[in-house]
Amino acid sequence: MASGFTIGAHNEPAAARPAALTNKIEINELNFFYKKFHALKNINMRLYDKRVTAFIGPSGCGKSTLLRVMNRIYGLYPGQRATGEVLVDGQNILDPRQDLNLLRARIGMVFQKPTPFPMSIYDNIAFGIGLYEKLPRTELDERVESALRKAALWDEVKDKLKQSGLSLSGGQQQRLCIARGIAVKPEILLLDEPCSALDPISTQKVEELISELKADYCIVIVTHSMQQAARSSDYTAFMYLGDLIEFDQTEVVFTNPTNKRTEDYITGRFG
Amino acid sequence: MPTDHIMKSYDEELSRLNNIIISMGGLAESQLAAAMQAVVKRDSELAAEVVEQDAQVDQLEREVEGLAVRLLALRQPMARDLREIVAALKISSDIERICDYAANVAKRTIALNQAPPVKPAFALPRMGKLAQVLIKDVLDAYVHRDAEKAMRVWLADEELDELYTSLFRELLTYMMEDARSITAGTHLLFMAKNIERIGDHATNIAETLYFMINGTPLRETRPKRDNSSSSVVLQGITGVVPTTKAPTNRAPTAKVPK
Repeated sequence: MASGFTIGAHNEPAAARPAALTNKIEINELNFFYKKFHALKNINMRLYDKRVTAFIGPSGCGKSTLLRVMNRIYGLYPGQRATGEVLVDGQNILDPRQDLNLLRARIGMVFQKPTPFPMSIYDNIAFGIGLYEKLPRTELDERVESALRKAALWDEVKDKLKQSGLSLSGGQQQRLCIARGIAVKPEILLLDEPCSALDPISTQKVEELISELKADYCIVIVTHSMQQAARSSDYTAFMYLGDLIEFDQTEVVFTNPTNKRTEDYITGRFG
Repeated sequence: MPTDHIMKSYDEELSRLNNIIISMGGLAESQLAAAMQAVVKRDSELAAEVVEQDAQVDQLEREVEGLAVRLLALRQPMARDLREIVAALKISSDIERICDYAANVAKRTIALNQAPPVKPAFALPRMGKLAQVLIKDVLDAYVHRDAEKAMRVWLADEELDELYTSLFRELLTYMMEDARSITAGTHLLFMAKNIERIGDHATNIAETLYFMINGTPLRETRPKRDNSSSSVVLQGITGVVPTTKAPTNRAPTAKVPK
């Protein structure tokens, strides 16, 4: 019999693979504490540029925490601290001297719940751009349109750009937030459960968007939907109780994981 | 058989799939045993029963297909569960083929019984026995998810190939000596070929099991001893044509055309 199975082959399709993998984010010996609670334990991981990496794991495993470390959002809260290194292009962003505004311009984030600003759809996008660049009106218009188009929202809002962002439906608000995130042209996009409040059509639009955006960005997505992780990521990290249990190509993780806990989790044997 | 999904109904569906495969395997064993008995006892009635019962296996194969498609669509299986389902699809079609071959042996028995008994008919039961052992062992390997046992089946098929090659030559010689035996001899050749193919399907199942259990496909090449495709029997000379001198056959060890 011909060995016709390709499931588990340790290769990405050649066409989808740019020349070489480059590390965009390098996490070394990362530990994270919420006061005394040890939420991340000695995490070591490489996140590649122009690839989508998914974090999966049961609630409370640390996947969102890990995402929050990458743009230092945790610094807004007292009692939360990180030790170790998170190198973005070789530069440790945990360094207290790191300029947070610059960091967050390079690293965009989209949250689980849509968080549009209480302003017009247009201004929701233009506001962020205005913080970093002074653009002439026509150019700003173009940037807003292009961001909305990339986020697959343009056709639905082009006639009501002056309306409040809050007037949109949940799915539209989320895509507005993604548009806002990419309008400032970040290098890294962190998505924390971006589709958990979206209908299946909007979800597919966001996933399609992710696959388009990965040509330019390093994308990290936290998701509870295993199918979403399987469909939209190149690499998958499985986390459990603050430990990184398994990190591998998505195809391997979902067809032939190395660790028993990973297998039990993805096949629905514990949650 | 892995169990303990959070969703109990998922476990139930997977175990139903498993059970159908086991029933199919049981049928394959009994169909081949009955076909071989029909050969040995020259029992046309039993042979006719075997032919008739083939429809049962076809029905089970359709059930496996329906259930597997349903599981794939509704459960989005992952990892080992996914391999179990893909393997069930492949194994069920292998078993269905095995039963087809058993039915064909039975059908030819009916034709064979019209003619006087031929001597090489006695070598055929040995092949049948061996094929039955292969089916039984590979099914045990399926039931116990035993990759090592599956690999033993995979290797044991070589013996069946050897028996087939020698029976092939024997039959050619026999037909050459006595032209009146050509009808029976030809039927016997096809029957032997059928049994040899049953062994190949048992090795297919073994390979599928290897993948199902380990998650990686088997990459080695199986030793094969079926040299019949390059065998010649001339008056008084028996042998295998060397590779270079057999323009119509690539190599004596080449895979037997299906």
